[in-house]
Amino acid sequence: MASNPMQQFTVYRIGPEIKIAGIDLSFTNASLFMVLSTSIILLFLFLGSKEKKIVPGKIQLMAEMFYNFVAKMISETAGSKAKPFFPFIFSLFMFVLFCNMVGMLPYSFTVTSHIIVTLIMALFIFIAVTIIGFVKHGFKYLSIFVPSGVPAVLLPLITIIEIISYLSRPVSLSVRLFANMMAGHTMLKVFGGFVVSLGILGGWLPLSFSVALTGLEILVAFLQAYVFAILTCIYLNDALNLHH
Amino acid sequence: MTIPEDFKTRLKIAKSKIKKQLDNDDGKRGSFMGNAFKLGTELVAAVAVGTIIGFILDSWFDTKPWLIIIFFFLGAAAGMLNVIKAANRMQKED
Repeated sequence: MASNPMQQFTVYRIGPEIKIAGIDLSFTNASLFMVLSTSIILLFLFLGSKEKKIVPGKIQLMAEMFYNFVAKMISETAGSKAKPFFPFIFSLFMFVLFCNMVGMLPYSFTVTSHIIVTLIMALFIFIAVTIIGFVKHGFKYLSIFVPSGVPAVLLPLITIIEIISYLSRPVSLSVRLFANMMAGHTMLKVFGGFVVSLGILGGWLPLSFSVALTGLEILVAFLQAYVFAILTCIYLNDALNLHH
Repeated sequence: MTIPEDFKTRLKIAKSKIKKQLDNDDGKRGSFMGNAFKLGTELVAAVAVGTIIGFILDSWFDTKPWLIIIFFFLGAAAGMLNVIKAANRMQKED
């Protein structure tokens, strides 16, 4: 049983092939798990907000914890001006978190281990933040590329460096999430393969590694969702409160 | 409605317990690890973006190796700038 550790990342079609204007829009296993994660979030938040008790039950407590966690994160990193963006950041955080967590279940598919998914989210954030910056500050927003207190000789060089640094945001945002998820899941599969190939005598060591790695992966799944959301807040903060 | 005294003290004790837990919880260690994950990609991404910009400009202006070399180093500088910015932010948080 020499299973390929990368096999878990294959995207395949479920159901009929749908092609609109030459673009393949078929329902795949990736779409299925996105729908699944979204429905779990909706169900969880629906159950959490159904009975509005003063002394919350378990599910309500968890839902309130998530709400408070994201609300605190936004107010600490981006200030009160970012309040209108709470729904967006909350949905983003929940979606990434639940996609990561659903991916931890055996036989499931990790949506966030595909760079196209994370890149689209990161690009959306990047473009949205840029538009917000220009809407709020007009052409003064370009001043984030010109740090204050730089000698005039160095200014062109520094400006180019700042522009590259700005453009690298979506890349670092998407690559971080994708690479962490993919590397973790590949590692889990590789160690799982060792357990099988070493058999009952030598398989115990990789098995214990597998157990430890599963714990680590759950931590990483949460951390990456957190990092993704907090970086969105930081970028939003740069666009909303222009002070350099 | 009056709240019984007994409940008030119990609430106080529970609140201080929660606060103590939050102070020395693993949550803090978790955010350190989050910071560590952040810095690595920050450095690499800017180098990649710089090199790609250099490559595109090279094929536009037909100056084959030069712009890609220049923008590679500019990208590396931008990566270091990213790391410095992120580190500054972390220090501000503490």
